[in-house]
Amino acid sequence: MENAWLIPLFPLVSFLFLLLFGKRLKEASAFVGILATLASLVYSILVLLERLESPTHKAEAVWLTIGNLELTAGFEVNQLNALMLVIVSLVSFLVHTYSKGYMHGDERFPVFYAYLGLFTFAMLGLVISPNLLQTYIFWELVGVGSFLLIGFYFYKESAKAAAKKAFIMTRIGDVGLLIGMILLFWQTGSFEYDEIFAAVEEGAISGTMITLTAILIFIGAVGKSGQFPLHTWLPDAMEGPTPVSALIHAATMVAAGVYLVASLFPLFNASETAMLTVAIIGAFTAIFAASIGLVQNDIKRVLAYSTVSQLGYMMLALGSAGYVAGVFHLMTHAFFKALLFLAAGSVIHAVHTQDIEKMGGLWKKLTFTGPLFLIGTLAISGVPLFSGFFSKDEILIAAWAHGNYGLFWLAVIAAFFTAFYMFRLFFMVFTGEARSEMKNVHESPSVMTLPMLVLAVLAVVAGYVNTPWFGAFLGDWLVEGNEALGHGHIAGPGWIMIVATAVSLLGILLAWMMYSKNSISRDWLSSRAPIAYGVVKNKYYIDEIYNQSVVFATKAISLFLRFIELFVVEGLVKLTTATVQALGKTGAKIQNGQVQTYGTIAFVGLAVLMVIYALTGGYL
Amino acid sequence: MSSVPVSAYLALALILFCIGLYGALTKKNTVIVLISIELMLNAVNINLVTFSKYGANPSITGQVFALFSIAVAAAEVAVGLAILISLYRNRRSVNIDEVNQLKN
Amino acid sequence: MEFNYFLSLLVFSPLLGILLLAFMPKTNESGIKMLGVLATLPSLVLALLAYFSYRGGSDLANFSEKFRWIQFGGQGAEQSGMFTVNYELGIDGFGLVMVVLTAVIATLAAIASFHIKKEWKGYYMLFLLLEIGMLGVFTAQNLILFFLFFEITLIPMFFLIGKWGYYEKEKAAYSFLIYNGLGSAVLLIVIMVLFSRTGTSNIDMLRVILNTENAPMFAPISESLKMGLLVALLVAFGVKLPIFPLHSWMLRVHVEAPPSIVMIHSGILLKIGAFGLIRFGMGIFPEQFADLAVLLAVLGVINLLYGAFLAFIQTDFKMVLAYSSISHMGIVLIGLGALNEAGIQGAIFQVVSHGLISALLFFLVGVLYERTHTTTLANLGGMAKGMPLASGFLLAGAMASLGLPGMSGFVSEFMAFLGLFEEMPVLAAVGALGIIMTAVYLLRAVLAITYGKAEREFVGVSDIRSFEWAPVLVLIGLIVLIGVYPAVLSEPLQATLETILMGIGG
Repeated sequence: MENAWLIPLFPLVSFLFLLLFGKRLKEASAFVGILATLASLVYSILVLLERLESPTHKAEAVWLTIGNLELTAGFEVNQLNALMLVIVSLVSFLVHTYSKGYMHGDERFPVFYAYLGLFTFAMLGLVISPNLLQTYIFWELVGVGSFLLIGFYFYKESAKAAAKKAFIMTRIGDVGLLIGMILLFWQTGSFEYDEIFAAVEEGAISGTMITLTAILIFIGAVGKSGQFPLHTWLPDAMEGPTPVSALIHAATMVAAGVYLVASLFPLFNASETAMLTVAIIGAFTAIFAASIGLVQNDIKRVLAYSTVSQLGYMMLALGSAGYVAGVFHLMTHAFFKALLFLAAGSVIHAVHTQDIEKMGGLWKKLTFTGPLFLIGTLAISGVPLFSGFFSKDEILIAAWAHGNYGLFWLAVIAAFFTAFYMFRLFFMVFTGEARSEMKNVHESPSVMTLPMLVLAVLAVVAGYVNTPWFGAFLGDWLVEGNEALGHGHIAGPGWIMIVATAVSLLGILLAWMMYSKNSISRDWLSSRAPIAYGVVKNKYYIDEIYNQSVVFATKAISLFLRFIELFVVEGLVKLTTATVQALGKTGAKIQNGQVQTYGTIAFVGLAVLMVIYALTGGYL
Repeated sequence: MSSVPVSAYLALALILFCIGLYGALTKKNTVIVLISIELMLNAVNINLVTFSKYGANPSITGQVFALFSIAVAAAEVAVGLAILISLYRNRRSVNIDEVNQLKN
Repeated sequence: MEFNYFLSLLVFSPLLGILLLAFMPKTNESGIKMLGVLATLPSLVLALLAYFSYRGGSDLANFSEKFRWIQFGGQGAEQSGMFTVNYELGIDGFGLVMVVLTAVIATLAAIASFHIKKEWKGYYMLFLLLEIGMLGVFTAQNLILFFLFFEITLIPMFFLIGKWGYYEKEKAAYSFLIYNGLGSAVLLIVIMVLFSRTGTSNIDMLRVILNTENAPMFAPISESLKMGLLVALLVAFGVKLPIFPLHSWMLRVHVEAPPSIVMIHSGILLKIGAFGLIRFGMGIFPEQFADLAVLLAVLGVINLLYGAFLAFIQTDFKMVLAYSSISHMGIVLIGLGALNEAGIQGAIFQVVSHGLISALLFFLVGVLYERTHTTTLANLGGMAKGMPLASGFLLAGAMASLGLPGMSGFVSEFMAFLGLFEEMPVLAAVGALGIIMTAVYLLRAVLAITYGKAEREFVGVSDIRSFEWAPVLVLIGLIVLIGVYPAVLSEPLQATLETILMGIGG
C-alpha cells in the first residue's frame, strides 16, 4: 500500500512510451497499453485486499511553496479510494483489451492507446488524491483525456464539435469547483480532505460558507457527471469510439463527480441546503434524462441518457445521506453500463450503424453479444437478483429514510422509465425482423467478447457484496472508522423493494407489448400528445436554448467589445494622432519664412518663460 | 560720485532695446530693420558699460567687451548691407516680406 | 567561485556575434544563420551556469558588479550634492529567472529565425543587439542603466518589425515605436524626477531612501508626488504589458512581425512591463502600490475578460493569440493586485509561463505559415491529417495556455486566483469567468485549424522537421517541468518575494 502511487504511473508510462514509439509499434501498441493497465489492476487488487485489514495510508510531499504556505501532493488509500482504484483499473483493463478488436485496422491505432493511457493515468491519479488541489489537477487531466478521445475522429465535424462542447461544458463546472476549493482553502487553511473535515466538525466555518462552497464544488460535479443543466455534452460525447464511451462516459470519468461528492461527503452533510440541492438535482436529472431516453433512436445515445439518469440516481443517494447507496450504485453501474456500451459497440461493429430503427433480429446472429446485452439490460432495469436491483433498492430506501418522499416517487418513476427504454432498446435491436439490409453480420472476435463476459459476470454478482439478505459487507467496510459517513446499511420499509421490482417488471412488460408483441401501437402515446413528444424527442430543446441564450450572449458581448475596440480604443488613438497632426499643421503655417515672425515668436516665448520664472521664484 | 542711479542706465538700455526690438519685428524696410538691430546692440553696450562701472565687481572687462561688440556690429552691418544690395539688384525691392526664399 | 565580470560577460556576449557577423559575406546564408544561433549560446550557457550555481547554494550577491561611470554636480571638495551614475549589474531571484528565460527564448528564436527569407546578416545583427538590450534590462541595478537598455530594445525591434514583417509591417513598426517611445518618455520623466531629488538612481538605494522617514535627499518627494510617479510608471509599463486601453500597438506587432520576433516580443519584451511594475512600482513605492492594488486587480479582470471575449471572434489565428496575450497579462495584474504572496508569486509565474507558452505558440504559427501561407482560420482546417505532430504540439500549447494542470499555465493562474480570492472574492469570481472563456476561444481557434475537414488541400505540407524540433521540445519540456515541479521557479523567487512583501508590510 506504501507504493500505491505506482498504480497511476503504469498507464502514464504506457502513454509516454506510445507517444514516442507508437508509430513503429503499430497495432502491437495494444499490448503495451493492456500490460500497463493489467499491472495497475493487479496492484489495485492487492492494495484493496490489504486495505480490507489495515488502516488508511497517506503520504505526502511538498509540491509548491508560496511564502509560508506549503501545498502538498501525495496519495491516500482509504476505503473509497481503494474501491475506486479497482473499478477504474478493471474497466480500463477490459476496455484496453476490447479495443484491440474494436479499433483493429484504424490508422491511428497507437494514438488511441496512448490517449487511453493518459486518461487511465489521470483517472487513477484522481481517485488516490489526498487533497482537493490534487483532485482538481487530475480532474482537469481527466477532462483532457476525455476531450482527446471524443475528438478521436478529428476529421468529423460532429466529433470536433462534441469534443469542444464536452471540454467547455465541464470547464464551466470546473470553475465552480475551483472557486469552491479556493474559498474553502481560505476558510480552513488547507486543501487536505481530513483537515477540511476537521474544520467543518469544529464549526470553524460558518454555515453559509459551508453551503456556498459545497454548492460550488457540486457545480464541478454537475459538469463532470453530466447532471442537469450541464448534461448536454454527455450524449454528444458518443461521437468518440464506443470503447471510450464505455470507459469514460459510463464507468469512470462521469462517475468522478459522484466520487467527488462522496469523498467530500462530510462537508456536504454539514449543510442541509447543499444536501437538498444535490438530491433535487440528482432526482430531477434521473427522471429528466430517462424521459429523453424513451424516444431516442441512436443506440449509444439511449445508453448515454441512461448514464445521465443513473448518475442522477447516485447524486440523489448522496443527497439523501445514502453514502453507501451512492457508492454502491457507482460500482454496480460501472460494471453493467460498461457492459452495455461494450455490447453496443459489438453490435455497431457488426452492423455498422447506430440507428436502432435499422436493426432488429440480431439475437440469432449475435449469439454471444445478445445474451450479454440482455444481462446488462436486466441489471440496469433493476430486475431482482441482478446487481442493479440491490443498489437501486438502497438508493430508494435512502431517499425514503431521509424524508425526501417527493424525490423518492420521482426516482420510482425514473426506474419505470429506465426499465421501459432499456427493453425497448433490447427488443428493437435483437428481436423481430431486420428492418434494413445487413450484410455479413458476424459475431465479434473473442478479444472483444471476453471482456464483456467478465463484465457480465460482475453485473450479476457485484450486487451481492451489499444485500439486505446476506449482509452489507461493502457498506460496513466503507463507513468503518468514520461516523460522518452514516450507516453501512439503512433500514427501510420492506414494501419499497416490492414497489421497485414491480415498476421495473411493469416497464419491461410495457416494452415487450409495444416493441416485441406489437399489441400496443408504438405511436400510441406520440400520436396523442404530439407536442409533448416533440419536446422530449428534441431533448427539451436544451441545446437550442443554450444556443439562443449563452452562446448568443457571448457573441453579443464579443461584438460589443469589438465595437469598443474599434471606436473607443482606436478612436482614442486616432484622436491622439489627429491632435498631433493638427499641432504640426499649425506649426507649419507659422513657419512662413518671415524672419520677423520667427523673431516675434521667439521673443514671446522668452517673455512667457521669464514670467513663469519670476512667478515660481526660479524653482520649477 | 554721480547721483544717477544704476537703474536709470538700465532703463535707458531697456527702452533702447525695446524700440530696437519693435523696429526689427515690425518694419517692412530691411534697412530700417538693420538700423533697429543696431539699436538693440547698442542697448546691450550700455548695459555692459554700466555694469563695468557700477556692477558688483567693477572692472574694465565690460568696456573692452563693449568695444568688441561695436567692432562686430560694424562688421555685421557691412555684411548686412552687402547682402541687402545684392538682394535689391535681384528683386528691385528691399521689402522684408518678400524675402522668404529660404522657405521655398 | 569567482564571478567578476560574470554578468557583463553574460549581457554583452552577443556583441561578439555582432562583430563576427559584420565580417561575414552577405550571401553566406547558412553561415550567417549558424553564427547567429551560436552567438546566443554563450549567454545561455552563462545564464544556466548562474542558475545552477544558485541552486547549488551560491549567493546571488556574488554576481553583482559596480564601477563608477558618470559623476557630476557637487560644490567644492566636500562632494555633497554629487550626482553619481554607476555602471552596476546584479541579479536577484526574479532577475535570474528572467535572464534564464530570455537566454533560452533568444536561442530558440534564433533557431526559429531560419525561416527568415532575406538579408540574414542585418537581421541577426539586430537580433543580437536586441538580446543585449533584454539581458541588460533584467540585470541593470540602476534606473538610468535600465533605461539605456530599455531603449536598446526599442530600436532593433523597430527595424526587425519594419523590415522583415508582413504586409503592413511599416505601420506596425511605427505604431510600436510611437507607443513605446511615449512609454519611455514617461519612464524617463519618472527616472529624472527621482534622480534629481535623491541624487541616486540605484534601485536598492531608492527603495531605502523613499521608505525611510527623513532620509537625506536634495529635494523632498511628497506623498502625492510619489503617487503621481507610480501612476506614471503604471502608464509607462502599462504600454509595454499592455494594459487596456493601451494595447492596440501590440496587436499590430503580433500580426505583422515575423513569428520569430513575436516569440521574443510576446515572450520577453511584454514581460519587461511586468518586471518593471514589480521591480520599481512595487519595490520603490510599496505603500502607494498598496493603495492602487484594487485598481490593478480591476484592470486585470478587465484585461482578462476583454482579451478573452475579443479573441473569441477573431478570424485570424495570430489575432486570437494577440488577444490571448492581453487576456493572460490580465492574470499578471490580478496577481499583483492581490498583493499577497500567492498573488505576486502567481504573477511572476505567469510572466515566465506565458513567455514560454506564447513563444511556443508563435513558433508553431511560424511553422504553419511557412507551409500554408495563411493564418486565417477559415482557410485552415483538418491540419491534423497532414501534420499530426505540429497539430499535436499546437493543441498542447493551447492546453498549456488555457491552464491545464501539469503545465505551467495552471500553476500561475491558480496562484494568482488563490491570491485574489483571499483579498477580493467577488472580483475574483468575476475574473474566473475568464478561465471558461479562455478555453472557449482557444479551442475554437485551435480546433478550427487542426480538426475538422481540410478546407483546401495543402500540397506537400510536411510535418515538424529537422531544426524545428529543438524549440518545440525545449519549450514543451520547460512548460511541463514548471507545471509538474514548480519548485524550479518558486525557490529562486522566495527571497525576492520576501523583500517585496516586507516593503508592503504584509
